[in-house]
Amino acid sequence: MALSIGLDTAVKALRAHQLAVDVAAHNIANAHSPGFSRQRVLLRPVGIDGSDHWTRDAFLGRPGYGVDASEVRRVRDLFLDFQVRQTIGSRAQYAALANALGTAELAFDDPSDLGLSSALASFWNAWHDVVNEPESKAARTALVHSAETLASRIRRAWDDLDALRKDLNQQVTLAAQDINAKAEEIARLNLQIKQVELNGDSANDLRDRRDLLLDELAEIAQISYAEQGDSTVVVYLGNHELVVGTEFRRVQAVPDAGNPGMAKLVFAADGEDLATASGRLRGLLDARDQALPDLIAKLDTLASALRTEVNALHQTGYGLDGSTGLDFFTGTGARDIAVNGTLLADPRKVAASASGAAGDAAIALQIANLQRSAVASLGNVSFDDFYASLVTVLGADTARAEGLAQSSERLVSHLEAMRQSVSGVNIDEEVTNLAASQRAYEAAARVITAIDEMLDVLINRTGITGR
Amino acid sequence: MRVTESMRLTNHQRYLNEIATKLDETQRQLANGRKIERASDDPTAAAVALHYRRGIAYEAQMRRNIESGIAFMNVTEAALAGATETLQRIRELTVQAASDTLSPVDRETIAREVDQLIRHLVQIANTEFGDAYIFSGTATDTPAYAVTGDPPTAITYQGDTGLRIRQISREAQAPVNLVGSQVFGSTFDDLIALRDALSSGAPASAIEPYLSAIDASLDRVLSARAELGARINRFEAALQQSETTDLNLQQLRSEVEDVDLAQAIVRLSSEEVALQAALGAIGRAASLTLLDHLR
Repeated sequence: MALSIGLDTAVKALRAHQLAVDVAAHNIANAHSPGFSRQRVLLRPVGIDGSDHWTRDAFLGRPGYGVDASEVRRVRDLFLDFQVRQTIGSRAQYAALANALGTAELAFDDPSDLGLSSALASFWNAWHDVVNEPESKAARTALVHSAETLASRIRRAWDDLDALRKDLNQQVTLAAQDINAKAEEIARLNLQIKQVELNGDSANDLRDRRDLLLDELAEIAQISYAEQGDSTVVVYLGNHELVVGTEFRRVQAVPDAGNPGMAKLVFAADGEDLATASGRLRGLLDARDQALPDLIAKLDTLASALRTEVNALHQTGYGLDGSTGLDFFTGTGARDIAVNGTLLADPRKVAASASGAAGDAAIALQIANLQRSAVASLGNVSFDDFYASLVTVLGADTARAEGLAQSSERLVSHLEAMRQSVSGVNIDEEVTNLAASQRAYEAAARVITAIDEMLDVLINRTGITGR
Repeated sequence: MRVTESMRLTNHQRYLNEIATKLDETQRQLANGRKIERASDDPTAAAVALHYRRGIAYEAQMRRNIESGIAFMNVTEAALAGATETLQRIRELTVQAASDTLSPVDRETIAREVDQLIRHLVQIANTEFGDAYIFSGTATDTPAYAVTGDPPTAITYQGDTGLRIRQISREAQAPVNLVGSQVFGSTFDDLIALRDALSSGAPASAIEPYLSAIDASLDRVLSARAELGARINRFEAALQQSETTDLNLQQLRSEVEDVDLAQAIVRLSSEEVALQAALGAIGRAASLTLLDHLR
């Protein structure tokens, strides 16, 4: 074997181990970069013509022709990626729902001394106080103010829920921009990866970035994806193409005709609705279109029943000044329930009396006892029970969403840990590789020295006989 | 499992976060003394707590109703005690007048005192409590009795027979007032007739029959007082019952809503120990690296 081949082998080894050192350095540098997959140099022994050493030269009884650092590959488990993306979708979905419901709970602020339930209790109690002293202007004044406190508490709860719903709508609208930005970048990465890998190189860092974007996209909405032969990925959002090759389909928020005041997301090109079964968007939509309208409807039912039942009795009674037929509450629902301004201006007009006598409070007593009576329009439960059930059902829904968010969070952490276990960087490992490559580099250099000395013997010290 | 840098980092962050969250929750509970802040903290407990809170507010109102009712009835009782005293004085005077030894002048003096006592009794019948004439039924904005003439020639009832009914417990409603026309009946007519007989110099034999009319008046007032006493007893029993219920509800509410301080403090210190241990472990693990062992 020619010495020059040995030199060539040693130089290949120098290059290969230098590359290994570079890769270790890159890995160490990115030990904490999100989405980074550690990279490995694939070292491969080569035959003289660059073919696989084992196929021919081994049988010829020759050593091979050194090492080839054929490829730098990232270490990644694509199935784990798939699982992680499924679970972060449900985590984000339930977290968004739990967040919205938790905020909705604050609108009622119960159980507490400041909640709607205590305003309701004070209202009924104020009627009892009027029963105790129907002649007293003070008791009547206290009643109308207590009633106005209750009404404003209901209005505030409605306002809070309405504002929350608008806020959720805003977030839905913003999700469109988020999806577009990520889809656009994936399309651009598709192009870059395709170009790089066309030459047989590996676009490792670009792929890491693309995988990170797919993770982020899965957090927003349910996606499915598949890598194509040309190294690009096709991404579907619901059943609709989002990224195809180097192009993406823009998503936009448009007013939803079937849902007044709210927006829906559609694909700009064909106007098709964006459908998603998981992700933050699903959670936002569930809260905006189901949980909150349901709560608002219940609050409206409560307010309307309160107005109807109290008014029905109040209209039949008489005030201290003989006035009769007056409504106690005005308004159409939870949004605008209020105490009749006439009564607020003159509490003597509160129709506590059934007979017209100043000391009679039969109507006030009947209204006070509405507290405990079953009301048909509330589904044959009392006001107190209806409200308590509203609060506890909301609490249970919130707790359930929080529980689901937590359990998917645990699953995500577990899968993330597994993914990290495969793709993450371990500094000790890299340092070990670094040391090994360093030693191999030194040894290869020593080979060059050895061959150099052999050449020295051959050139400078051979054939000097007779000189 | 292969352990990597970012795994270690996220795990450490997660452990610390979990412990810190628990610690924070315990601290919050200790600060405001409440186990459940929002219904979602424990929906079942929240439902129960709401139920107890409602019960507590309701019972408090029942006690207000009862206490103001007792106040009303105490005023009524005081008035009736005054009426009894007045009627007894009139009876004494009538007994004197019914004896033959009295001169016409003496009878005239007695007639004048009876007239004063009638006016006093009217005042009693027109007792007010707050803005209400207590014996006027539900027509509480008008005095129970109107006086015609001076000296009075007619004293007429102006109220109605309505009852002031209030709720005193979940199950029971009860009136607090006594209707003047029932308490006093024909008392005023009888007394005016007696006074007129006295001043007209009627013989002792003509005065005597009035004694039974006065006795009937006294009986009416006494039986009214007996009924009132029974009612006050009933109100007081209801008050006691409500207080017992309230105590139970308060205790139940506290068990559901309030933090067991001893428990919370023990939990706090064990969580602090856990946090310290975790920090120590993380600190030690973070310093373990191959680099320390390479030259």
